[in-house]
Amino acid sequence: MTAPILTLESVSVDRSGARVVRDFTATVGAGEVVAVLGSNGAGKSSLLRAVIGLEETSAGRMMLCGEDLAGKLPRERAAAGIGYCPEGRRLFPGLTVEENLAVVFDGSARARKARIEEMLDRFPALIAKRRDRAWSLSGGQQQMLAIARAIMNSPNLVLLDEPTLGLAPMIVEEVLESVRTIAANGAGVLLAEQNVGPALRVADRVLVIARGDIVYEERAENLSAEQIAGIMLTGDRSATTAASVTG
Amino acid sequence: MGDAVPQLLVNGIALGSAYALIALGFVLVINAVGAVNFAQGDLVMAGGFVAVIAGEALTGRLGGGSAWTGVLVLPLTMLAMAGFGLLFSLLAYVPLRRRPPVSVFISTIAVGLIIQHAANAGFGPEPRIGPALIQADALRLGPIALSVQQIAVIGAAGLLIGLTGLLLTRTQLGRYLRAAAQDPEIAEALGIHGARCIAVTFALAVALAGAAGMLLSNHFFVAPADGGLFMLKAYIAVTLGGWGRLDGAALAALLIGVFEVVTAAYLSYVVAEALLYAALLLVLLVRPSGLLGETIQRRT
Amino acid sequence: MARNRSFWIMAALLVLPVAAALALGGYEQRIMTLAGIYAIAVLGYQLIFGRLGALSLAQGCFFGIGAYVTGLAGVHLGWGFIASFPASLAVPALIAGLVAIPVLRLESHYFALATLGISQIALLIGVNWTEVTGGANGLYGVPGIRIAGISLFSSEAMLLMVWGTLAAAVLAFGALTRGRRARRLALLRESPEAAAAVGIDIGSNRLILFVASAAFGGGAGALQAHTIGVVSPAVLDFQIMVTILAMTVIGGRGHPAGAILGALLLAHLPEWFRFLESHYLIAYGTALLVAVIIMPEGLAGCFGRWLSVRDPTPPEIKRPVPARVSEPGGELRLCNLRKTYGGVTAVDGASLTVAPGRIVGLIGPNGSGKSTLINLATGLQGQESGTVHLGPVDLSRSPPHIRARAGLARTFQSPAGNANRTPLESVLAACPPDLTDEDAEALAMHCLERAGLEHLSGKPAGPPSPAEARGLDLARALATCPTILLLDEPAAGLAPGERADLADRLKRLAAEGLGLLIVDHSMDFLLPLADRIVCLATGTVVAEGTPEAVSKDPEAIAAYFGSRPT
Repeated sequence: MTAPILTLESVSVDRSGARVVRDFTATVGAGEVVAVLGSNGAGKSSLLRAVIGLEETSAGRMMLCGEDLAGKLPRERAAAGIGYCPEGRRLFPGLTVEENLAVVFDGSARARKARIEEMLDRFPALIAKRRDRAWSLSGGQQQMLAIARAIMNSPNLVLLDEPTLGLAPMIVEEVLESVRTIAANGAGVLLAEQNVGPALRVADRVLVIARGDIVYEERAENLSAEQIAGIMLTGDRSATTAASVTG
Repeated sequence: MGDAVPQLLVNGIALGSAYALIALGFVLVINAVGAVNFAQGDLVMAGGFVAVIAGEALTGRLGGGSAWTGVLVLPLTMLAMAGFGLLFSLLAYVPLRRRPPVSVFISTIAVGLIIQHAANAGFGPEPRIGPALIQADALRLGPIALSVQQIAVIGAAGLLIGLTGLLLTRTQLGRYLRAAAQDPEIAEALGIHGARCIAVTFALAVALAGAAGMLLSNHFFVAPADGGLFMLKAYIAVTLGGWGRLDGAALAALLIGVFEVVTAAYLSYVVAEALLYAALLLVLLVRPSGLLGETIQRRT
Repeated sequence: MARNRSFWIMAALLVLPVAAALALGGYEQRIMTLAGIYAIAVLGYQLIFGRLGALSLAQGCFFGIGAYVTGLAGVHLGWGFIASFPASLAVPALIAGLVAIPVLRLESHYFALATLGISQIALLIGVNWTEVTGGANGLYGVPGIRIAGISLFSSEAMLLMVWGTLAAAVLAFGALTRGRRARRLALLRESPEAAAAVGIDIGSNRLILFVASAAFGGGAGALQAHTIGVVSPAVLDFQIMVTILAMTVIGGRGHPAGAILGALLLAHLPEWFRFLESHYLIAYGTALLVAVIIMPEGLAGCFGRWLSVRDPTPPEIKRPVPARVSEPGGELRLCNLRKTYGGVTAVDGASLTVAPGRIVGLIGPNGSGKSTLINLATGLQGQESGTVHLGPVDLSRSPPHIRARAGLARTFQSPAGNANRTPLESVLAACPPDLTDEDAEALAMHCLERAGLEHLSGKPAGPPSPAEARGLDLARALATCPTILLLDEPAAGLAPGERADLADRLKRLAAEGLGLLIVDHSMDFLLPLADRIVCLATGTVVAEGTPEAVSKDPEAIAAYFGSRPT
């Protein structure tokens, strides 16, 4: 096996003095979807922000395709092949759908146009809205656009922060399908979720974190959503059995 | 009096379109760094003096009365002011970029003061006349006479506003500027060079101020103390037009210009000013977020 | 000790310049008189800009109005100083009071513009209402000051008069910002929400300072008019505002010493840059720019530690804690609360009750409306429908500070922390204003103890750690003597040991008779703590009961795995 796309070795992140991510160790391989599950405030977002460089790590090592990310600015990490879909989507609200895609593209004008068309083909919900400003889109369309924007430059690693939050079940399915496609095309995906059910349906592996610590790690097929929801609700692994009985 | 109305309107639109350039630069900086540039008016005045110098130099080269002097002076002024804009951002913004916006507010007041009194030291307090954009006789349509110079000012300002609009909406650079202004953090995380965008924004904003200074310097002359009023008009335009909105600011600036010229002609300049401030306070009283509402852009 | 040092420094700053000017005579006296006048205006500006953090651009205008009132009263009405000086304080104060209502609620950049607009209108009136103001020529022959038959026309007398007034202004400044009010203002400046949550009335505090700042400005303008005998529109020019702003920024915006230092320095600047002739204003601008870049706290800030060193050991307080600490009160009843923003219903008919002495846990996934519910209960946000009762009292429409005073306290997810230099000061801001200083200190220490921060009480705080900031927030909430306490994610960001410690403290508070509502996203913290758990999902209560029951409740579990498999 070649080097994983992303290697995290004992990564810790401090935020105004508090350790929000503690000793996080994980790898993401090519074509693999790794889900980090945890409730709000568990440190998922901080972990993803640390990978793209918006948050400083206080300990540990992060490597992209074997290359150390230390000291690289966020935009340099983006150029090195990380696509980022932030929490809350964070589209450029005053830019149109096309412009949101165009602005992050690194390449010639012709390649840019072609890539935009490709993206619109992949996310047909956006075609009719291509000249509308991002703020006017529905939640689902915004999420599609945020994912499309993250993969405009065909990154090796895609970071998705809560892509199903607040979406209707049907839209969630579409989002999950797009995540599967990204992985099928060979990119590694690091997915942060608090919605356990959807995450389990795309993830190859699952890490459950609570208050910065990994409390549970398992291949996805060995787990039920109820088990993990029980862990998250109670913050305690031993509660799984109780939860799964009722669930 | 009726025959003077068209000329009055032309004068008002000319003044308003120059205000629009000032207001555009003002909003661009607000959107990019979240701070009010209190020196914008003094930068307009500086542009006027650059135009005076460039006009005199070119008149020397080309011989007096060349019809093209003004047309050459405008881009030269903008170029010089764009460079000055970079210097301005290094002085007034970069050292304070991690401080609250009020620090930038104060630093731009300081730099404005420096610019104003440097101009005073260099040129004296007396008004100077800048080069005309073009030199031509009045345009006569029956009984109506229109100043071609003023129409040219409207044309030039309109062209610059249009070009700025095209730059922002049709080019990759413009998309960078808007994206970085709307969400600097995410723009950076998606590969956009934020600091460079801010530098370009300052250059553009100050170039627009310089263009306005050049366009106003012939009809209204230019004096070191002029800056304050220009800044106020831009500030008011941005407030009336909706904080952060480019279109709103330009439109409000245009209306302010027309209002000022027409009211001054029929009542007096003082009444025009007083009514403008009263209108501003009224708007702030009933609509604390501006007449057209703030831009949807929200930073998280 | 500290208070004494501060006193002697201020005394020296008030006396030494006068002594120097008297010794040097003539020209220096005139400059020092001018510096004293500006120092008064700057003191006023410190109230609004320094203490409230609002960038007013009207202080120059109030200065000018004060000058015109003195000029008009002296020249047209023949009033003497005894009558015209109070009028010069009152008229700007009155104008400030009138414009304050619409203007003070504006956000920073609008506030700056509105105050600038008011100044411009005043300038237009000054220049153009020629019959009254004398137009651009102004008013000549403003009489000198004569008190009880004694003329103060000599430059020495004027110097002493101005600096005497300045000393009075320093005392007035002290009275307005003394003791616990200073603590409250600091909290208000840092976080209006946190201030309201501990019962501080934001509106009246802002109004008082704005009106007072205008009176200071007016008084300075009046003295200026007497000193030079002329009032022209120049006193309304923006230049005055810039001068006051520059003095405030360079001197330091927080401490009265800054006003005097800034005024002394900038009044002499034209002298030192005399070789620039009239262009010394370039140096002025440069000094302002350099000051704002390299000394954000101004000269007084550079000497700040030295100006007001506090005893680092906490005060030994052996007084009994005042009787009023958290008497058990009525229960909190939230009934059918509803709140939507932008089409999304954040809280959708939620009801819950918190009884004194009980601990209720509120859980729910991200976005389920937990924080909004607390905001509705404490009045930070207004509900569309539903009611809030504390015991028999209906608080449904009361502003936050009234609810806080009624006994409803809260902590925040991201608490304010840095406004006051020591934790003790920070907690003092929240103590009921009617307590004596001694009682307040005893109460504050007691609250710090209950929050586990007694060891930090007098330490000048750097940025507090998250645990300290949370503890401080808790201590502040306790200092309001609440009967019900709402805690928004008190355990977030805490290490396991700190969480256990917090749980113990919360249990003890409940045992004292306090009713607690504790928000958290999962139950590990609440399980051993809460008497009852309420689970919220999409703004409604989906499960309620004992912790054991809720942790097995299918609805609660469903809320946590989000959209179900279809």
